[in-house]
Amino acid sequence: MKDSPMPASETSGIPALARRAVLALLVAAASLFAAPALAAPPAEAFVQANVQKGLSILNNHGASTDQKRAQFETFVLGLTDMRRIANFTLGQYRHSASPQDEAAFAAAFQSYAVAVYQSYFAKYSGQTLRVTGSQEHGPGDTIVQTQLIDPNDHSGQQPLEVDFRVLSDGGKFVVIDFSVAGIWLALEERDQFSSFLGQNNGSIPTLISHLKDLAKSYH
Amino acid sequence: MRGVRGMLVVTAGLWLAGCSTPTPGMLAANDPYEPMNRETLKLNGKIDHYFVIPTVGIYFFLVGDSGRRAVHNFLQNISLPTVFVNDLLQGEGRRAAQTLERFTINSSVGLAGFFDPAARHFHVPGHGEDFGQTLAVWGVGEGPYLVAPFLGPQPPRDALGLAVDTAIIDPWNYVPIKQHIWWDAGRYYFTLLDLRGQTYETVQGVQRGSVDYYASLRSLYRQLRNNEIRNGRPDAKDLPDF
Repeated sequence: MKDSPMPASETSGIPALARRAVLALLVAAASLFAAPALAAPPAEAFVQANVQKGLSILNNHGASTDQKRAQFETFVLGLTDMRRIANFTLGQYRHSASPQDEAAFAAAFQSYAVAVYQSYFAKYSGQTLRVTGSQEHGPGDTIVQTQLIDPNDHSGQQPLEVDFRVLSDGGKFVVIDFSVAGIWLALEERDQFSSFLGQNNGSIPTLISHLKDLAKSYH
Repeated sequence: MRGVRGMLVVTAGLWLAGCSTPTPGMLAANDPYEPMNRETLKLNGKIDHYFVIPTVGIYFFLVGDSGRRAVHNFLQNISLPTVFVNDLLQGEGRRAAQTLERFTINSSVGLAGFFDPAARHFHVPGHGEDFGQTLAVWGVGEGPYLVAPFLGPQPPRDALGLAVDTAIIDPWNYVPIKQHIWWDAGRYYFTLLDLRGQTYETVQGVQRGSVDYYASLRSLYRQLRNNEIRNGRPDAKDLPDF
């Protein structure tokens, strides 16, 4: 230190600086390890709480079929952004659709989608949902991974993997798609609607009519 | 003779239909042979309705639930050597070890594979692999969508994979079994019954809820296949934006 070319006032600050840097690093490292001890990411907590609620509605043996259908519809509409999903499933045809067609399609899609979701999830109504993790697609766009655990299945086979795509729009979470065994429903709907419209001169009213018939067939 | 001529006319018609200029929609969906594929799917529907489903019905009537599960377990077990080879070809050492463990346990403790103690008691779950997936892992693209008579969706990569698995990779080809052709015929017959029995409700559900079953099946096939190729690993980045 005696031979150091730096002034004494500056050399005495170096150990203090080094100590502060080490402390800052330790705090940063500690916060990395402390993170898992905090609550699960909000999107995961949202899915865990809400989707299980949906399964419970379908599993309610005390309610009539009509009551369950009405409760499930209210539940699904509160959980999802149906308008956004409907617009997505129109694919390229969305850009040429009139506002009236778009609105009518959104209404028909809503009835169809609720019926289809109920039919899918009714098969798993007695099962328990367990969130296993999440991945970011982009800012405010999260894929939450879950498993459906069947308490009566002792075969040792892997539980069913069901993922939910969750958007956080202005602080409110909405589900915009879900996948079963890697198959995303809104993607499949977009593919089949695009194909149907391609085969029917892009006629959205024709698609609407088919969706209404399909929705009725589930009742 | 009239029947043969009729079949030739139908086949030529299908081929000509398939040769019509693909629309932009078909090209966007990588399905330039869509008209031919749609006709083949209709044909498969008839084969399913008049032959496969009634046969599966008889199978379900004659063989109870536990018997069908035993058949399913046996068929899964004898396909494990093919799965093992494809695990190795894909460089999946851990999964290959799991496959070997399952085959060893189920063939012995599981009484020639009719039971699945590997999953039930030893918690070694199963997975599937085939040469089509191996080709995908090696970077080979799916190719244009194709629907094969009887077999269903078989784009070129997966069709080649099936052929290689069946004729070359499957170690059972090299086991000297008397009357090998009967072993093969019986195995594929029961594989058909087992598979169709397992997928019956799912297919019904898709058909029921679809405005265009052909397009639904194409989408489901591709998504399922890509999920298999990724071994179930989620791929959030690959999804389209909403």
